[in-house]
Amino acid sequence: MNWKWSSRRVALVTAVLAGLIGVAVLAGASLASSSSHRSTAASSSIIVDGTTDSVVNIDPANQYDYGSFTVDLPIFQGLYGFPNGAKLQPVLATGCKSSPNLKTWTCALRRNVKFWDGNPMTSADVKYSFDRVQKIKGDQGIYTLLSNLKSTSVSGPYTVVFHLASPQSTWPFILSTNAGYVVEKAKYPFNKILSNTDQQYGTGPYKLQKYTPGQQAVFVPNTNYWGPKPKNGGIIVNYYSKSSTMKLALEKGEIDMAFRDFTPTELASLSKEKGIVVHSGNGVVIRYLVFNVKRAPFNNLAVRKALAYLMPRQDIASRVYHGSVKPLYSMVPAGLPGHTDAYKSFYGAAPSVAKAKAVLAKAGVKTPLAITLWYTPSHYGDVSADEYAEMQRAFNASGLFKVTLKSAEWAQYSSTLGKTYDAFQLGWFPDYPDAEDYTVSFYQPAAFYNNGYADPTMNKLIAAERGAKTTAIRLRVLGQMQALAAKQIPTIPYWQGNMIAVSKSDIQGVNSTLDAAFYMRFWKLSKS
Amino acid sequence: MATTAPAGGIRASRRKLATAGRALKPVTQARGIPRAMLWAGAGITLFFVFLAVFAPLISPYGFATYQANGKRFPQLAHPSSEHLMGTTVQSTDVLSRVIWGAQTELKVVVIALAMSLVVGVPLGLLSGYFGGALDRVLVLIMDALFAFPYLLIAIVIAFLLTNAFGGGVLTAAIAITVAYVPLYFRVVRNHVVAVREESYVDAARALGARPWTVIRKYVFFNVVQNVPPIATLNAADAILLLAALGFLGYGIQPSQGAEWGYDINRAVSDASSGIWWTGLFPGIAIVLLVTGLTLLGEGLNETINPVLRRRQFGEIEFGPLDSDSETT
Amino acid sequence: MPGTSLRAYLITRLALVIPMVLILLTMVFLLMRVAPGDPISASLGGHVPPSVVNQIKHQLGFDKPLSVQYVDYLWGIVRGDFGTTITDHRPLSNIILVNGAATLELTFFAMLVAIVVGVVVGLVAGRFRDTPLDVGGRLFGIVIYATPVFFLGLMAQLVFGVWLDWLPTSDRASPITQATLQTHTNLFIVDSIIDGNWTALQDCIRHLILPAVTLGLATAGIFIRLIRINVIRTLRDDYIEAARARGIKEKDVVYHHAFKNALVPVITVVGLNMALLLGGAVLTETTFNWPGLGHALVTYLENRDYTAVQGIIVVFALVVVAISLLVDFINAYVDPRIRY
Repeated sequence: MNWKWSSRRVALVTAVLAGLIGVAVLAGASLASSSSHRSTAASSSIIVDGTTDSVVNIDPANQYDYGSFTVDLPIFQGLYGFPNGAKLQPVLATGCKSSPNLKTWTCALRRNVKFWDGNPMTSADVKYSFDRVQKIKGDQGIYTLLSNLKSTSVSGPYTVVFHLASPQSTWPFILSTNAGYVVEKAKYPFNKILSNTDQQYGTGPYKLQKYTPGQQAVFVPNTNYWGPKPKNGGIIVNYYSKSSTMKLALEKGEIDMAFRDFTPTELASLSKEKGIVVHSGNGVVIRYLVFNVKRAPFNNLAVRKALAYLMPRQDIASRVYHGSVKPLYSMVPAGLPGHTDAYKSFYGAAPSVAKAKAVLAKAGVKTPLAITLWYTPSHYGDVSADEYAEMQRAFNASGLFKVTLKSAEWAQYSSTLGKTYDAFQLGWFPDYPDAEDYTVSFYQPAAFYNNGYADPTMNKLIAAERGAKTTAIRLRVLGQMQALAAKQIPTIPYWQGNMIAVSKSDIQGVNSTLDAAFYMRFWKLSKS
Repeated sequence: MATTAPAGGIRASRRKLATAGRALKPVTQARGIPRAMLWAGAGITLFFVFLAVFAPLISPYGFATYQANGKRFPQLAHPSSEHLMGTTVQSTDVLSRVIWGAQTELKVVVIALAMSLVVGVPLGLLSGYFGGALDRVLVLIMDALFAFPYLLIAIVIAFLLTNAFGGGVLTAAIAITVAYVPLYFRVVRNHVVAVREESYVDAARALGARPWTVIRKYVFFNVVQNVPPIATLNAADAILLLAALGFLGYGIQPSQGAEWGYDINRAVSDASSGIWWTGLFPGIAIVLLVTGLTLLGEGLNETINPVLRRRQFGEIEFGPLDSDSETT
Repeated sequence: MPGTSLRAYLITRLALVIPMVLILLTMVFLLMRVAPGDPISASLGGHVPPSVVNQIKHQLGFDKPLSVQYVDYLWGIVRGDFGTTITDHRPLSNIILVNGAATLELTFFAMLVAIVVGVVVGLVAGRFRDTPLDVGGRLFGIVIYATPVFFLGLMAQLVFGVWLDWLPTSDRASPITQATLQTHTNLFIVDSIIDGNWTALQDCIRHLILPAVTLGLATAGIFIRLIRINVIRTLRDDYIEAARARGIKEKDVVYHHAFKNALVPVITVVGLNMALLLGGAVLTETTFNWPGLGHALVTYLENRDYTAVQGIIVVFALVVVAISLLVDFINAYVDPRIRY
């Protein structure tokens, strides 16, 4: 036995272990001295916000998701925007005029606008920003918003001209999207995007000072800002992967507010808590059920109609969401100009088993009909499971359907859209808050969700909407589109979410940013 | 334990009987703490098996039932005389979900164990007995798999199979199987390598027994005795893995059955809002069942394998890659 | 085989690592490609027409034959380039540095907790075998093992975070600390020590306690079981009997001989449980919003970010392999019988 010989080696290893334990004891000791120290979020006027959104890219040339959008909003601006409520207003432009054929838009730029580093913004920066988005064609697909833009030209340092491929009356809305954010020409490479940890250069009220992926974004006020100063001393956005940990952080004072997204149960509990305010405003996020109109059984209009008669909107809104969403009767959410309650006028406000039964009987459909509904908990939240359980119960209770529920996680779900799913859950989040974005996107032929819907009358209406000379004409066409869709039912919209932010009671100004533009305007918030 | 009869001298049936008798004897003879562990573990496990088998009779409602007699259950209601463990956000009965959950867990674990035994044990036998290139390649692959955190393998496999089988019991079971095959392979293989060199096996070979006969008659019975305790302990581990999959949302989908891990995942947001009953009871169920299985496994280990007492289970499972040098 | 030198053993052992890593890389690559869903659909599927999705897939080379992609991938790794993530264009090296540091911090302290709890309870249980102390210790070990780490974490958050209100429940530091802390190593505790920033150090330690203890306890269950068994075994060994026979006091026998030797296998156990610990880290990080590799992995997996998932899993596996190598070396060093 050579234990005696190797015991020295044993001792060595033991010593190493002992050393490690020593470190732990030290750590423990340093803790003991700090027993009752409470961390509160802010000494100064810095506001700490929590979110469950995540950031893909900060460079505006390649981002098309809400988490990235919220990071860009305080640091970049477009020619148009929604600085004060849901009404479109010029921001970096003073105004845009269209040619009579709606194919050329000429915009005058605001003077004396500087990027945060002090360099002035001119038409060259604007043209560069648009050209860059079209050149990069980033994998997030934001460039598709500019698919109608043929070219951009300048005329003098303060005038930019957009040449469109086809007439578009809503061009200023496109200018408000992040595809139209103006970046500093000298700082951004033309053919590739900046990485998230690179410094970003914009004209907004804040400068992004530090970004740690998946953890934190730190904003400080832009000292060269052309507009009114932010009402706070800076913003920190903290990222969470679960809303439950975010809720605890808010209750424990680690964060001052949370914008997006709590579960309905958490919201109900937060709204009862002292020192915490749940702010709620008009929202534009919607959920809907898509049918593949080319495949059985949903190629039968009667089946789609029966489901439209049975859709338990009120039960979903009150039982699943505790009132944080509202029943929706059109793909266009209420609150946007042009919205009509089309599905309500066709199928009634409340479910009607009798009418559903009659429709199916008339079409000779044998009941109960077996159908499968798909949903995805990983993209639209675990609450989707409850939402679809509610639907399943309502459809089954009618005795007309026998519903099987299936779910898949998002990566799989999104790559299978329209290929194997016949009826499936989707949500929509506007590129720009206008009824056009809620109609054309869904009803144009070969729409993104691949459901096989195409209708010649609808196509004519879409062309008419794009080329409408006046707002009144445009809104009338939008109404006709909604009515036609309600008759043909490629989708059934069922709810519209409120825009909800939760804050400590010492945060002011939250309500002023909750509107149909769906913007979190951090610069309007203050801490008392 | 080791049979020293010459090759072909005793009929297999008699051997089996004798082995079974010998295997059961220690259980009845067990005394003291091992006996207490064994019975406590068996009691708890049997309780859950009972729940699982008779779920339709015991459970007050179905796992997705949300109404009775035309009256809808309240949402997130406190435990009460009508709902002993309260109700969930979907107005389902927590007690019923816990009971039906036992059925899901046991189904998955039984299928997963059976599959990992069927794959892992023969591979281990062959690899260990024949050695050579096959052995080296298999050991390398299994070690590589072993280096993977097994939760990750299970997640990826679960992704892969949801298309083919849906998010149900079979998918979860296969995901767990893939994570455990390397373990059985390693245990069996190392043991076979050790047994292969025993004199009675040598003797059998010398007498001209074919490899298959030797494996079947001598090696297998010797090695397989290690399996019940390991399988029991593994069942415990498999339940934790299934729960972890469910917690991350990659396990059994809610439309396919009640599963404790998924229920805890959903209950996380309840728990921070003061609603403790939706998460606590499934959690306790997991802890209880896993504790029961572990007690049973360790009890079995100490009673069935008196010879192993000095080696113990742990070292078989977690011994160094070349533990055969020590186990002999 | 007597006479094999330590060096020869090391070389053989190291040589085996290369094919193993190759197998790992291949497995990860294949698993990710055959899994349904792809990164482009995941980020665009909800709002962009399929034609655009296909066009972008083409642009990024996802429609190339698997073999070509595979060779590209291996070639990249040979050059030491793990690539940048597909979704947020983040260099893998950055993920490993930033998120890896968070995981390192968490697992290091979790391991300390596991070792301390495991060694103390295991030694006591083994020394006082079959007494109530033993039964209590074993039961404790079994129950903490039986508690899913996410359930334990949730309870810890509710009890120590909400009910007693002693400790924070998420993140590595409070937002303000994190925003102001200078990062040198990305190990927040080390960073705050370097800067002499004691408030930050306190803050970081307070944030570390719940996750580290949760993960540590979950791992300690196995340690308790194994250390107890080892103590029992060692107490029966020949040399202990010999020591007893020589008339050395039982106390000295136990403390000087038995415990010391019973602890040697702990190294092995610690090493081989690394995979388990990292698996547990995925769940702990998710529960406590701890921005480590596991946390990142779950997110990237959801988005099917091939590059990120491949990179992170390979890092995980390499760590496991490296530690098991290290364990073997230490074992071979301490106990020459192992070299054969």
